[in-house]
Amino acid sequence: MIGIGTPESPGERHGTTRNMRASERECWIALSMVPGVGPAGFAHLVRRLGSAAAAWRAGPEGLEGIARLPAGVWESFAEFARGDPHELARTLIDATERAGGRVLTGLDDDYPPALWTLDPRPPTLFIAGDDAALRERAVAIVGTRGASGYGFATATELARDLAASGMVVVSGLALGIDGAAHRATVDAGGRTVAVLPSPLDRVYPPRHRPLARAILASGGALVSEVPIGAAVGRPDFARRNRIIAGLSEAVVVVEAPDHSGALLTAVAAIAIGRELYAVPGPIDAMASRGCNRLIADQQATMVTSAASLMRQIGLSRGGRPPAIAALSEVEGQVLKRLLERSGSIEELIDRTGHSPAALASALSLLEARGLVNPFGGATFHATLAARRLAGVI
Amino acid sequence: MLAASDQLDATRLSGTALIGELALDGSLRRVPGAMALVSAAQQAGACDVIVPQDNGSESAAVGGIVVRPTHSFSSVVRHLAGVEDIASLEALPASMIRSADDDAPNLGSIIGQRVARRLLEIGIAGRHNLALSGPPGVGKTLLTRAGAGILPSLSDAEAAEVNRIHSVAGVGESRSPDSRRRPFRAPHHTISTQALVGGGPRIRPGEASLAHRGALLLDETLQFRADALDALRGPIDAGMVTIARVEGVRSLPARFMLLAAYNPCPCGWFAVPGRDCACEDGARRRYQARLSGPMRDRLDLVAHLEPSTLGRGSPAPESTAIVGARVADAWAVQQERQSMGNADLPAEEIDERHGFARSFLDVLEQRGRQLGLSMRRLHRAARVARTIADLEGSSVVHAHHLDEALLHRPKEVRA
Repeated sequence: MIGIGTPESPGERHGTTRNMRASERECWIALSMVPGVGPAGFAHLVRRLGSAAAAWRAGPEGLEGIARLPAGVWESFAEFARGDPHELARTLIDATERAGGRVLTGLDDDYPPALWTLDPRPPTLFIAGDDAALRERAVAIVGTRGASGYGFATATELARDLAASGMVVVSGLALGIDGAAHRATVDAGGRTVAVLPSPLDRVYPPRHRPLARAILASGGALVSEVPIGAAVGRPDFARRNRIIAGLSEAVVVVEAPDHSGALLTAVAAIAIGRELYAVPGPIDAMASRGCNRLIADQQATMVTSAASLMRQIGLSRGGRPPAIAALSEVEGQVLKRLLERSGSIEELIDRTGHSPAALASALSLLEARGLVNPFGGATFHATLAARRLAGVI
Repeated sequence: MLAASDQLDATRLSGTALIGELALDGSLRRVPGAMALVSAAQQAGACDVIVPQDNGSESAAVGGIVVRPTHSFSSVVRHLAGVEDIASLEALPASMIRSADDDAPNLGSIIGQRVARRLLEIGIAGRHNLALSGPPGVGKTLLTRAGAGILPSLSDAEAAEVNRIHSVAGVGESRSPDSRRRPFRAPHHTISTQALVGGGPRIRPGEASLAHRGALLLDETLQFRADALDALRGPIDAGMVTIARVEGVRSLPARFMLLAAYNPCPCGWFAVPGRDCACEDGARRRYQARLSGPMRDRLDLVAHLEPSTLGRGSPAPESTAIVGARVADAWAVQQERQSMGNADLPAEEIDERHGFARSFLDVLEQRGRQLGLSMRRLHRAARVARTIADLEGSSVVHAHHLDEALLHRPKEVRA
């Protein structure tokens, strides 16, 4: 239960918990529509005031003590505050549904768990297609719009292998590498998620609208943080890139020249703790300079083959990790300890009391399922997939 | 010569073989390879053999022939003339036979490192190639040397084979000839390739052959010459050293268990939690590359050691006697089932006859897919799993045996 409002609010006084939640959800949606608030401002307001409804009630005057918001926000908020938040929200929900999508908020149970780790996280998302694709293991494949033949081929191969392993492939629907990754996944019968820099009803770039329809037809999804009807402006690539990284347990940069937008996704991946991989290129290839630098600076792990990428991500063709509940007692105990703190078998003997033999068998199965990884040393770590399964992230 | 010139009665020579190097002062000098010569003489129908005193005990170990050791040629002449017999040497009584290495450090004195101890036990029980990797001072050398104390005894046939090789190499006297002790060789890392695998103008067995049926410890493995390590690949696969010469190809038996011990990087502290590795990236990669892919492929088990964190009050570690008894039992089971160690089980015999059920092979295939492993690696893991089951007293190999084996497989180090 989220903490909401004070007893004076009429809707809350007479409403059931269910109504209170619906009311808060509408205020939440409306607040996230206010231009300039942004995820950080939104999170700050809700944290300080306890709920979106409270923020809305406080209005521009009540928010003066909260210094984090940029200057222009006061005006736009003042303008918005004249309207009814519930009506604003319902209008947006209707418009989204007419465009074939639906609204997903941070209050909803089916909000993608992977995005919980983002701070601040996008308060509201607009989704078309099957949102189940947002809750599965995913890897992002990103890169430059000006891809070379090598880049296209590599993106295609990596996406195809990831799809064959049951991985969801996430990208940004841009021309070049992004498009190749989506296309290869669709062709391989896999599921892919395109995160748009534009509203759902204005798929950008227009040339990829047929691809967007193919993604939806194959069980994938389109995601945007931009509400339908938002003022036409420059597509917001930075926020889009953050969601791409957030939805994925690993980000692979296939080709990126200096100052490429794909490098912003790489920066986002590092900032939020996602594993970062880069495909190396010839030293004289402009399109690979960003990738080569990520590798040289040891910010990204070099991808030497599709197979090595799969192994490092802890994947095998055809395997999907089981639910935590499907693990044996010892496996469950071991994973729980490793989620608390990484450790060697020696430490696990002391922490669980099991024999080296029993622990080795359990760790081996967990490794085969992509839930732990020793990274070549004595210390075993729980993988991101394990954290996701356990609901830790 | 003496018989031809009628200084001696030639009849006394029939059925008697003479072995030795006659020195100018009339004394008999020891010769290398006495056992092989004695055994050849015995097969040629000799019932008596006279050998130099220093070759006496190893010659007596051949059996089936009367061995008469002596110091001087004059005593040989007196013996052949019937003046004074050279006393024959009896084989050592069985009670004096030593089987394990009493000088090896006792496992009971080694605190912690439970995983490494477990892998040492598995490795030795099935003769699987084992590596211990860890920073300086964690006990890699101590543990591997303690391994000498839990090697199972040689069978009669194996002992004869081992003694013959040691005799040919001229190091027979370093072994008690009747010993059932498995060889444990630990050459220094500065050793030449020739000394390691054998060779030289008269083709002498190298350390690889001296470790035949036993263990070859390469302490500081990555400090060995790269070509020396490479030269071991053939013997590890074939169980023998092959030396090509103008006059033909000679081979020497060299079926040893490899024990490797090394630091994970030049400074030794790579990937140890709470410690910083002081190595440059390039230096570390070059160092790790010395354990080349083909060599890594031939290891069965790798233990990663870290400084022990065990305090007082933890249960006392098992002694060499206890672990050694388990190893001996597991070894006996293997001999009874297939007359060889599990490590030598041919790939095509990994089937029901040896306790690998159809369902196990399905799991093996599945793990191969999940972990992206080669057939060679899977077969190696299956053999190790067989040994784990043998140590447990299980006639059937189960998936959990395989999983333990797979966890400790050698992996690429991500530098």
